[in-house]
Amino acid sequence: MMMASASQHRSLDGELALIIELGLPLMSGIAEGLGDAGAEVIALRDPRLAGSQDEVDAALATALGPDRSPALVVLSLLGEATTKLGPLSDTDLATWRAGAADPIRVAMRVLTALGARMRPAGRGAILFLAPSLSLVGGVGMVALSTALEGQRGLMKSIARQWGSSGVTLNWAAAAPRALSSLFEEADLAAKGDPVPIALGRRPDARTEIAALGAWLASPAGRGVTGATLMIDGGEWMVP
Amino acid sequence: MDWTATAGLLAGRVAIVTGASGGVGRGLARALALAGARVVVAARSPAGGQETVGLIEVDGGQALFVATDVCDASAVRRMVEATVRAFGGLDIVVHNAASTLARPTPLEDVDDAMWAEQAGVSLDALHHLAHAALPYLRDTGRGRFLVLSSAQGQHGGAMNPTYTALKAAQRGFVKALAREWGPHDIVVNALAPAALTDAARSYLEADPERTREAMKSFPLGRMGDMRDDIGPAAVAMCSDLWRYVTGQTVNVDGGYYTAL
Repeated sequence: MMMASASQHRSLDGELALIIELGLPLMSGIAEGLGDAGAEVIALRDPRLAGSQDEVDAALATALGPDRSPALVVLSLLGEATTKLGPLSDTDLATWRAGAADPIRVAMRVLTALGARMRPAGRGAILFLAPSLSLVGGVGMVALSTALEGQRGLMKSIARQWGSSGVTLNWAAAAPRALSSLFEEADLAAKGDPVPIALGRRPDARTEIAALGAWLASPAGRGVTGATLMIDGGEWMVP
Repeated sequence: MDWTATAGLLAGRVAIVTGASGGVGRGLARALALAGARVVVAARSPAGGQETVGLIEVDGGQALFVATDVCDASAVRRMVEATVRAFGGLDIVVHNAASTLARPTPLEDVDDAMWAEQAGVSLDALHHLAHAALPYLRDTGRGRFLVLSSAQGQHGGAMNPTYTALKAAQRGFVKALAREWGPHDIVVNALAPAALTDAARSYLEADPERTREAMKSFPLGRMGDMRDDIGPAAVAMCSDLWRYVTGQTVNVDGGYYTAL
């Protein structure tokens, strides 16, 4: 199937796009897609992102220097423990904290560091990229769903706090199996509908998910904030 | 409130309500008892917890206070065991306890101690309660696990990102655990109330104009009474009436949040 390339629009020409990823790799194809849209892309995968606020600030400074502010940030902060799927009854407290709570705290620190740069700049789009499974739950995914929904709630709160500064925050809920092979064997929720996915296919990261981020960073997308954007080909059609 | 509508709905059931030494938890505990449940009031404050027990007994119900810090796994386990010893089983767990530090705080001012305390009450406690209660909820065949969430977790409260994130996280917990525990006939839901707690009343009464503005957000024009408005919904959710509803967040808020 021919898919329109983000490069046809090049809406990020001359702009800086930052990819932040901690834990489960979900960003395959995203950097290429943002590059297609004309962006200078910097990828930040630094274990200091899981550390203190000072360490997060330092990781960001390593990637961006002292004062650069990105026009677009696409981030995934799941941590390592969230990749261990299993029933809650088999999850000990340390694993629970690492899987359910820590990713929310990490997101708070990363947003704090980003806000210090992006709010004074008066613009910029932050897009969380996550598997859509937290919106519907899943067996063996209590910690993961808890962490993701917590981050999604945080995203909404900060979207309100920062809205007047011109910085937007949104959430892209993508088909899990389009993001990671981890979910190939997972017991994902399913509807059993004769047409389970309206488009009949998973989204393409490079041409479709990255393009969503590019659009949000463009003038056309600056009125969208605090939103949960389903990019699952019309699987769940959440209300 | 005409309590004959809920009388007997929870007859023979045993319920635990955390954070029931006052506020929403007390209202829920009283409502569950009025519907026939024997209730364990699990809270840190002996004075408040015993007062709730006394109110339930005045209403003609049966209750027991068990001093419990829900952030302490062993304390939660002991509380659940005490419940089963006292009342012979466990059918309903209502996790209502909330942190006293859940005050409006901008993102950049959230420190690690503040986070740890709030995450402990909101998330660690869910882990402890679920682990301790599962064997009994599984046995009863009519298990209910109800989490008190908040509309702030849905619409994104601007002033308190920690509280908002944790209340949203609890919704993720509920959705996933409902799928995990469904085969055991355990129903897992969240209830998002708009309750006129003492704290809410103090906040609103300090500024009548603020009250008028705030009440515009409620189609019913008021916040809910903990026992008489929020309580009956919790009773229904814990009864057989709602046995086919699971994985949901139910807003009991006078129409405050209608975006779904």
